[in-house]
Amino acid sequence: MSDSKATAPAVAGKGIVPGSWQAHFANIVGTRHGALGAGILLVLVVMAITAPLIAPYPPLEQTPVSLAPPSWPFPFGTDNTGRDLFSLILYGSQSSLLVGLGAALAALLVGGTLGILAGYFQGPVEAVLMRLIELFQTLPVIILVLCAVALFGSNFWLLIAAVALAIWPMEARLVYGQYIKLREREFIAAARVADLSTAHIMFREILPNAIQPIIVQVALDASIAILIEAGLGFLGLSDPSRVSWGRLLFVAQDYMDSAWWMSLFPGAAICITVVGLNLFADGLNEIIDPRSTSGMGGLQ
Amino acid sequence: MLRFVGRRALYAVPLILVVIILMFSMLHLIPGDPVQALVGDYPVPPAYRQAIEEKYRLNDPFLVQVSNYLINVAKGDFGFSYQNQRAVLDLILERAPRTILLASVSFALAIPLGMAIGVAAGTTRSAGTDKFWTTTTLIVYAVPTFWLGQLLVMFFALHLGWLPTQGIGPMVSRAQGFAWLLEKLRYLALPVLAFGIHEGMRVARIMRASVIDTISQGYIITARAKGLTRGQIIRRHVLRNSSLPLVTIAGYAFGSALGGAVFLETVFTWPGLGLLLVDSIRLRDNMMVIGVVIFSALAVVAMNLIVDLLYAALDPRIRTVR
Repeated sequence: MSDSKATAPAVAGKGIVPGSWQAHFANIVGTRHGALGAGILLVLVVMAITAPLIAPYPPLEQTPVSLAPPSWPFPFGTDNTGRDLFSLILYGSQSSLLVGLGAALAALLVGGTLGILAGYFQGPVEAVLMRLIELFQTLPVIILVLCAVALFGSNFWLLIAAVALAIWPMEARLVYGQYIKLREREFIAAARVADLSTAHIMFREILPNAIQPIIVQVALDASIAILIEAGLGFLGLSDPSRVSWGRLLFVAQDYMDSAWWMSLFPGAAICITVVGLNLFADGLNEIIDPRSTSGMGGLQ
Repeated sequence: MLRFVGRRALYAVPLILVVIILMFSMLHLIPGDPVQALVGDYPVPPAYRQAIEEKYRLNDPFLVQVSNYLINVAKGDFGFSYQNQRAVLDLILERAPRTILLASVSFALAIPLGMAIGVAAGTTRSAGTDKFWTTTTLIVYAVPTFWLGQLLVMFFALHLGWLPTQGIGPMVSRAQGFAWLLEKLRYLALPVLAFGIHEGMRVARIMRASVIDTISQGYIITARAKGLTRGQIIRRHVLRNSSLPLVTIAGYAFGSALGGAVFLETVFTWPGLGLLLVDSIRLRDNMMVIGVVIFSALAVVAMNLIVDLLYAALDPRIRTVR
């Protein structure tokens, strides 16, 4: 977003060391988008952690009233088997956040490592990585994940791995681009002349300079991962033993004519989470490049 | 120009081959009996088992199996779907036109919608207007198509009763000519609206960035110095030059949509390739799954090729590079 609002001054005058992680954080929160995004994420994390304490009902408990519209005892209504939707949505945040975080970090690990190696050493590693990325991008992300589910079933942890497998090329491409660009800079030449080790140059010299766009991409990856998990749930192909917002929509599909609340609240939860991650990424992006426009990578 | 085309086309061939080989190899990763993996969760009569073992040479070395499968695919034989009692290719060819119809009409809505928003946000002098559109597109793009679909169905089909909730047409239709077209459009309306809005937001975001980039170019200042009006500049210079990146992204998005608008087709029970894929996964009809996946890879590669050509046609500089 081209918010012309100055981004750096959030740090000024608060006794925070520029360049430290506190400074980065203060910067992100200093933009209005970033602050809103960070706020939404914080609420979600608290929701996920405290779900067992604040949820009025255990996730699988069936109350005697099924398909009850929203009311005081059931703020979001109940589903077809009498489960309290409010409690289900609280518990569902656990699955979404786990998938988002897990898949994005796994993609970062795989894509980041390959991207660093290819960008730094170039040559054959680069050629192989580029072909691999091309191969992966021949299939839409959702089809890749569906293939994995078709073959290996929909165990929750396998699902995280499948999502990571589908999104790592985006991360690899970004890291690779950063390294290709930065390795030609003078300070790297200086580090080579100073006879610093390759590992030192890769991780201590280049990485700190490349890290910001990488973090933005991780946030966007997480939002894509959450959308994919919701999508699989909606298709009825997610792990049936876990509460998931997408799966609630799958059930809601059969009750659209009688229970709008079964669709409305889980869907809204998914949207708010994804918007939160994107605002956060946008806020971060604004700091790095005030002119830039970020956006979610294509999912569907 | 012709050489450029030829090279791009040649480049696509190994990519498709690798996809096919990988898909076939994945079947061997499924634990258990390979014949069962090919057929799905159905009891296999011994005679049929033998026929499959022979056809796919399951007792031969792996390389023989793969090359045998490739030859079959090259002949247009993607196998037989035991669940549907139909040849895989038959069913794909029956379903594909419906997905193509859905995707084309949706993009016909998404591209003008997105371009209008993108140009409005990118050229406006008011920071407020820009902010409004960027925030709106960010939020609306975060709405998953399957939820948007459910909301549209609940409001327009169930609450207002204006449009059908699902399917591609009534069970029995006697409508002809113009009435037939109207009837079709009623079934298309909601899926197209959901898909078009979603993709339109993507187009808008790309278009806005591209327009802002174009406006900062020197020739826009020249155009202004020549005394062209704002409208003239936008129409003659900005619009044409900003549409280039759009071709790439929209082309790729269209390609993946052809590979199956999986969610959308599920919400609206639109019997295209996406629904076919999901149903086949649920029934563990792996031969069908592989067929659809290969087909969707073909669609993406073909669309990318078309995008390359379009790009070369639109921007002469590209033909000489590479």
